[in-house]
Amino acid sequence: MSQAVEPAAIAAQRLTAGSGWISYFRAGEGRPTLFLHAAGGAGEWNPFHQLLSERTDLLAPDHPGFGASADLPELTTVDDLVYHYLDLLDRFELDQVDLVGASFGGWVAAELAVHSPERIRKLVLLGPVGLRVPEAMVADLFLMTPPQLMRALFHDPALVEAALSVEPTIDQIVQTQRDLGALARFGWRPFLNNPKLERRLHRITAPTRVVAAGEDRIVPRVHCERYAATIPDAELVVVPDCGHALYGEQPAAVAAAVTSFLAD
Amino acid sequence: MQFNFFHLMPYPYLPDDFDDAEKYPSPSLTFSNRHFDPAKGVDLYHRYLDELEYADQLGYDGIVVNEHHQSAYGLMPSPNIMAAALARRTSRSKILVLGNAIPLRGNPLRVAEEIAMLDHLTRGRLVSGFVRGIGWEHFAHSVSPAESRSRFNEAHDLIKKAWTTEGPFEWIGEHYEYRYVNIWPRPLQSPHPPIAVPGAGSPETMRWVAENHYVYTSVYAPVRIVRTWFDGYRKAAAELGYQPEPEKLAFATPVFIGESDAAAHREAKQHVEWLFHRGLRQGVELVSPPGYVSANGLRGMLASGMKGFSQLSYEELIEQGMVIVGGPDTVRNRIGELRDELGFGQLTMMIPIGDMPAELTRRNTELFATEVMPHFRAPATDRAPSPAGAPA
Repeated sequence: MSQAVEPAAIAAQRLTAGSGWISYFRAGEGRPTLFLHAAGGAGEWNPFHQLLSERTDLLAPDHPGFGASADLPELTTVDDLVYHYLDLLDRFELDQVDLVGASFGGWVAAELAVHSPERIRKLVLLGPVGLRVPEAMVADLFLMTPPQLMRALFHDPALVEAALSVEPTIDQIVQTQRDLGALARFGWRPFLNNPKLERRLHRITAPTRVVAAGEDRIVPRVHCERYAATIPDAELVVVPDCGHALYGEQPAAVAAAVTSFLAD
Repeated sequence: MQFNFFHLMPYPYLPDDFDDAEKYPSPSLTFSNRHFDPAKGVDLYHRYLDELEYADQLGYDGIVVNEHHQSAYGLMPSPNIMAAALARRTSRSKILVLGNAIPLRGNPLRVAEEIAMLDHLTRGRLVSGFVRGIGWEHFAHSVSPAESRSRFNEAHDLIKKAWTTEGPFEWIGEHYEYRYVNIWPRPLQSPHPPIAVPGAGSPETMRWVAENHYVYTSVYAPVRIVRTWFDGYRKAAAELGYQPEPEKLAFATPVFIGESDAAAHREAKQHVEWLFHRGLRQGVELVSPPGYVSANGLRGMLASGMKGFSQLSYEELIEQGMVIVGGPDTVRNRIGELRDELGFGQLTMMIPIGDMPAELTRRNTELFATEVMPHFRAPATDRAPSPAGAPA
């Protein structure tokens, strides 16, 4: 879900990929940082991107099927996305990056770091899904009405009311459904998890920060705790009074949690 | 004109406070099966099968069963079992399975086998429908709605090839893989049982049904919208250089026929409301989960301005033509008008509507057979006993 944001200060660019293209933002100077977005918020340059680009060389692509990227229907699993992003790093000639992933993007980021640990200098996971926790499954966001989803994503009721007070256009509904449809492609079953991921996390060598939302009603806290406990060099920090939307709800606090960790 | 008698087999015994939509957002998916009473269920199944058999005895051209999962809306998770139960207790009507939800099947070859068996049990009276399954059924059977269409397409191709190509052959597809496809029995009808597919306006479906010369069946919708679908189907067919005969279009609607218009409306209202306000109470999130419809299809749905079924009053349902209610003259005239406007050659009617009791269902089934059907039975050739017809 996207919040109302300021007009894009940075124009999206296109790169041919697979059967189509992907859309991405790139801005800023410093160490290269690859940001993998959550299920919502693709295609937008929002305050969180702005804050990261003031400290790093930020590369923020839309996943295939999300935002302004083409469908790339040949990619059907998160495993495919790992190879997609390895190709992308090669295309940009980035041997090593700082990797930040949020929610669904956090899952992809963890898989990427498991696959090629040497290409990740530091890893930040923001409210990541991806682990199979049968007793604490991620909420079934596919079955939520738009108001239910907004209330689950944001802790601050004022943000929910503001978002729900504006009737969405047909284009916005189609865009949201397309993003969620792409999420269904990659994560319907197993439900937003890879049963094998947890026992592979030991391969990650990058210092890792897991950022949990203090009031997450989508991803139970235990998911963040298990990432932090299982990745060898990892710590858990919590952003208080914040819902699963994280960088959509508290962009400044979440950006600070990211940039302070990437700084050294 | 062919008249088909469709039974949904709903479970009518909902809790007294079911009209509380906050408490019960839908009778489907999450409505607990603690509300299913097996003692009532056993009588319902036998009563409903009796009603289908009675339609056969009265001369309906087809009797129709369908598939739904985890819902009080319809009690047929396996339509093939119901068709089997009907096969040896009926003799005249075609039996239409409308249809098997093939994307939901882990093993679609099983559908090819079961339909081939049914074709023999019915001595070639079987019509095989294929459907995708409603959105909520993808939650129920844990199949990604984003894969639904491509699973449908591949399952269809596999089943059709299994019916028409001498085995054994290999099937190495995106979703299904078999080293040996060689079904016993092969179907009785040649090259295979006729195929019918429901559509709800998706341009992809229209084109695909037209390409294959299948029967295109509407789902419940206002007449003005069904008209755009049928026109779209004919247009798609014309672009392929194919002019479908009217029998290739089936209009589906609930029909309540009473002794007079006034009596019919008095009797029908509560049952029509049961169907649309309780049975079909379901939000967009249940009907159309992410990935289930293409962006084009979604855009079309949103632009059509269709309201949810449960938001339409009885009067609106009548006015929009979502249901036909009246005495014999009115029902006859209305069907004639709709046939002329929409150009269909099959009418697939839900005569048992919602929570209608057995006696009322029986009376309406008889009234329609005696007061309406003969009017549309023109020359005798129209009535020639046919072995289900060639599947184009």
